[in-house]
Amino acid sequence: MVEAIGVHKSYADIEVLRGINVNVARGEVTCLIGPSGSGKSTFLRCINHLEKHDAGELRVDGELVGYELRGDKLHELTDRRICNERAQIGMVFQRFNLFQNLNVLENITVGPVKVKGVDEKQANKSARELLERVGLEGKEKNYPTQLSGGQQQRVAIARALAMEPKLMLFDEPTSALDPELVGEVLDVMKDLARSGMTMIVVTHEMGFAKEVADTVYFLDQGVIEESGDPKIVLTSPSSPRLQSFLSKVL
Amino acid sequence: METNGDAAVEVVPVRHVSRWVGWALLALFVAMLVHTIFSKIPLSCTLAKGTWHCSKYNWRFGWNQVFHYFTNGQVLKGLVVTLELTVLAMIVGIVLGIVVAIMRLSHSRLLSAAAWSYTWAFRGTPVYVQILFWGFIGDLYPYLSIGIPFTHVYLVHFHAISVFIPFNAAVAALGLNEGAYFSEIVRSGLIAVDEGQTEAATSLGMTRSQTLRNVVLPQAMRVIIPPTGNEVISMLKTTSLVVAIAVIDLLGAVTNIYNQTYQIMPMLILASLWYLIVSTILSIGQFYLERFFGRGALRTPPPTPIQRIRRDLRGIASKYRTKRGVQVGTTS
Repeated sequence: MVEAIGVHKSYADIEVLRGINVNVARGEVTCLIGPSGSGKSTFLRCINHLEKHDAGELRVDGELVGYELRGDKLHELTDRRICNERAQIGMVFQRFNLFQNLNVLENITVGPVKVKGVDEKQANKSARELLERVGLEGKEKNYPTQLSGGQQQRVAIARALAMEPKLMLFDEPTSALDPELVGEVLDVMKDLARSGMTMIVVTHEMGFAKEVADTVYFLDQGVIEESGDPKIVLTSPSSPRLQSFLSKVL
Repeated sequence: METNGDAAVEVVPVRHVSRWVGWALLALFVAMLVHTIFSKIPLSCTLAKGTWHCSKYNWRFGWNQVFHYFTNGQVLKGLVVTLELTVLAMIVGIVLGIVVAIMRLSHSRLLSAAAWSYTWAFRGTPVYVQILFWGFIGDLYPYLSIGIPFTHVYLVHFHAISVFIPFNAAVAALGLNEGAYFSEIVRSGLIAVDEGQTEAATSLGMTRSQTLRNVVLPQAMRVIIPPTGNEVISMLKTTSLVVAIAVIDLLGAVTNIYNQTYQIMPMLILASLWYLIVSTILSIGQFYLERFFGRGALRTPPPTPIQRIRRDLRGIASKYRTKRGVQVGTTS
């Protein structure tokens, strides 16, 4: 589903990604872990072209992200086509980023209605189903500020799912939550993983990674230091960097 | 002292002597002000046997004149012109302002430079000069035409002054000037919206314009509305400058009247009263508009003045119902 070969990214003169190789199969859950500043969020944002990578090959579902190969040249895609690519990838942010001017139901329906041209009645119906799925039925008319962080993040997940994405990206989805609210969000994510959604999760929740992930990648200073089955990587890490990271996180 | 449970202990508030003095001075000042506003002065006096005898008295502020002309046809016609100018200039200004602000924030250098130049020119010159400029635009361009540039092949060709009659020139001048200021207000509103909102919209696959229309602009409105109310009220008064190009607005109308009656001050008071009435109505409208666009941003919207008065009355009523004194250990 997602294939990255030697992805590079620099901001001014700081190289944030220094050749990332990642391979995510359909239906797999992948966790990206690593210290802050290691480039895991940046890489995640490259996948839906919120950030433009400078070099390397990045494919989603076989299609190059943001570019098109014509002859032997890479052509940048027009804005509209990039939007089309993004519409198929759901993203959940650390700070929820629910639309403050819209109520819960409108937050979920605005994407399908405005981007995919779904009929409003149909969108409302599926939005209610999604709200039920994330355990928030009855909150349709509330505004984001009236919800707790955990509830907001669950709405954000529902909003992303409303676009019927083929891939879901999570950027530290529980980092801005009070400890007692983390569980409700992780539960929704576990549920989603069981339903067969392809997910890439940047997280500090090692328990979640161990329980749900098929593969875990440990990033440090813009490169992947170690990767593999979380049960092996997280319990008996081979690289000293991961060893020291885990000793601080766990 | 021992207090237990719900025994009532009388609380003596701090006495603020200086505040009472302040209130007394204020009351004196207000009384003086009211007196001078509603005092009468003699019109004709004669000296007879060592004492002055004054016969006719008139209001110092000429209130009879004020009320006589308050709803005069000329005044009301002028008021309508003032309101028309305000509304039309604000519409031009707001539309221009939004477009220019969006251009300013565009990724295109061409658009942002064009927007910057416009703001630079129209914010950098006095509005009075701009009004005169549009009023006399015919001096620069006697004819306006649409056709092939640098030739004399015209599709449309007409006298500039047939379009830029004084009223239209005034709307153009006030609107273009307002657009420059308003674009800055809109720009600050757009910048104030959290970047995460744009990112979330982008990640849903929205185009830049969809993001702007559905997410950013509605949230920017909360920041844009309060200064807009300010701009409308300011525009209401700025329109009085159009007298310079012979537009008969409210001020123009009262000027015409006092040029005949020589009662200058009463006419200016009359005009001021009308300006105050309209700006008060506008302020009330602004309050409700702010409340509307604040929805979603605040958990509980601020009370309307009517709700506040009701709440205060209820508070006073309940205060008098309960005994003086505070229940120690309980809050009521």
